[in-house]
Amino acid sequence: MTKTSLHAVLPWLVLALLAALVLLLPLPVAAAAPRARRFRIEASQFAYSPAVLRVNPGDQVTIELAPQDVVHGLSIDSYPVDLQADPGQVASLTFTADRPGVFKLRCSVTCGNMHPFMTGKLQVGPPTLLWRSLGLALVALAAALLPRFK
Amino acid sequence: MDAGRIAPQRERRARLFLLALLAALALVLLAAYLARPEGVLVRAAMPEQGGWLPAELKARVGEPLRLRLISEDVTHGFAVGRHDAPAVDVNPGEYREITLLFDQPGKYVYYCTRWCGLNHWRMRGTIEVVSAGQPGSDGQAAPAEPPLYLQLGIDIDAPHPAAVVPEGRPRAELTAGRISGLPEHYRSREYYLSHSPSQAWQALRQEPAAQALSDEQLWSLVAGLWQAQTRVERLEFARQQYNQNCAACHGAQGAGDGVAARQMADGAGSGPVMGMQGHGLQKPSSFADPGAMLGASPALLAGKIVRGGMGTGMPYWGPIFDDDQVMALVEYLYTFQFDYSLEVKDE
Ligand code: HEC
Ligand SMILES: [Cu+2]
Ligand SMILES: [Cu+2]
Repeated sequence: MTKTSLHAVLPWLVLALLAALVLLLPLPVAAAAPRARRFRIEASQFAYSPAVLRVNPGDQVTIELAPQDVVHGLSIDSYPVDLQADPGQVASLTFTADRPGVFKLRCSVTCGNMHPFMTGKLQVGPPTLLWRSLGLALVALAAALLPRFK
Repeated sequence: MDAGRIAPQRERRARLFLLALLAALALVLLAAYLARPEGVLVRAAMPEQGGWLPAELKARVGEPLRLRLISEDVTHGFAVGRHDAPAVDVNPGEYREITLLFDQPGKYVYYCTRWCGLNHWRMRGTIEVVSAGQPGSDGQAAPAEPPLYLQLGIDIDAPHPAAVVPEGRPRAELTAGRISGLPEHYRSREYYLSHSPSQAWQALRQEPAAQALSDEQLWSLVAGLWQAQTRVERLEFARQQYNQNCAACHGAQGAGDGVAARQMADGAGSGPVMGMQGHGLQKPSSFADPGAMLGASPALLAGKIVRGGMGTGMPYWGPIFDDDQVMALVEYLYTFQFDYSLEVKDE
């Protein structure tokens, strides 16, 4: 009796363990040495170019904001970044990307009717969240298929 | 009937209560009235949507003018020309209060300081300031003398190609010691104001004192003369004003390739975006082109800045910058042509 029940529970335990690992294990990505990066971001109604900035944790990031039509701004969620410039001017700022994750860039100057949609993103480090959720999905799939192999 | 009657005491209490309520209401209204936001409401909108509303304000010398600024669409800025109140941003959905004080009567111009759209530079309004005592007296000082370009008979709208241009970019530092051998009048402010660099070069070529100099050295000499007239301490101010007000059209490096220039029409000018009055629009001048810039005298450049292009797309800045500020801008414009060594001023 105990034997069969253990037999039934074991695969689930393994799966649970796997899920925990997927969630908590540090990813086997070599941490890149921090370096200085410079982005020149051209802003025009109502987009940034480039709109996605990829950096590694610890990088010294310099952002130059160069508006191409009207006055624009650029702020980054959770980072002390807030730039504003009129076209013809370049505003710049350097910060250390010390928080990993994905953060939204937003225009901090009301620049027109689509202004609220003028966004971009700063991605610090690999997209771990994406990979972990993919892993979890695989574990869930295995869990769903498990009864079939009984 | 009897049961419905209210005791006289209770009735009095009810009346008192009502009275107190009314008094409280009156107090609240009074407080609201006293605390009402003071000042003239000025709305900002893109020029296509009407610009400033109202676009004409009145004030008296010595009496504070309170304004409450708000935007109806995008971020604008507010500043008054020839006045030292700092510029403020005017945002949608938030009142910005400022108080202006004028100590001279006259007609002041307020203007938008944030590049809010292609027609941003058309966004202006006026404040008529009369002296406190006699309303209506416009108190303006005696008629100013005509601008220098008119006195000199310069047509600021005509092309002004340079008769001679240097091979490269003239450097002023080579010349520091050589200027002293020249007739005094080349070094005067009057000479500088009324001559283009290429005119100066041609005149110097004829000078015995400059006979031994190569063409390149002569250009360095001209650069040295121009540097001697440049007030180094004003260049930073001029650079800031240039970047803020001019670079969008003329380009940060003066090449006439600012972001707004791309949208302005070529020569004939039927720029679709300048819809408000799209005739005769021209491309912004390049201050980096020696063929044009070295043919322009300070009087010509200053005249154009003050008067504007009258329909070319070049705004007029006369009501915004005073003469000294305009000259600082002119001195700055020549830095797109000459390499100054700003430590070595004219000995
Ligand atoms: C909206 C665009 C625009 C802005 C802003 C602007 N300009 Fe211009 N500017 C022009 C155009 C177009 C021309 C050429 C047509 C003309 O000369 O009228 C011009 C011509 C000039 C000229 C004449 C140059 C020559 O060689 O004849 C000067 C000087 C000048 N601008 C200075 C300035 C300064 C200084 C500022 C800022 C305070 C400024 N401009 C801002 C559009 C602009
Ligand atoms: Cu924007
Ligand atoms: Cu504006």
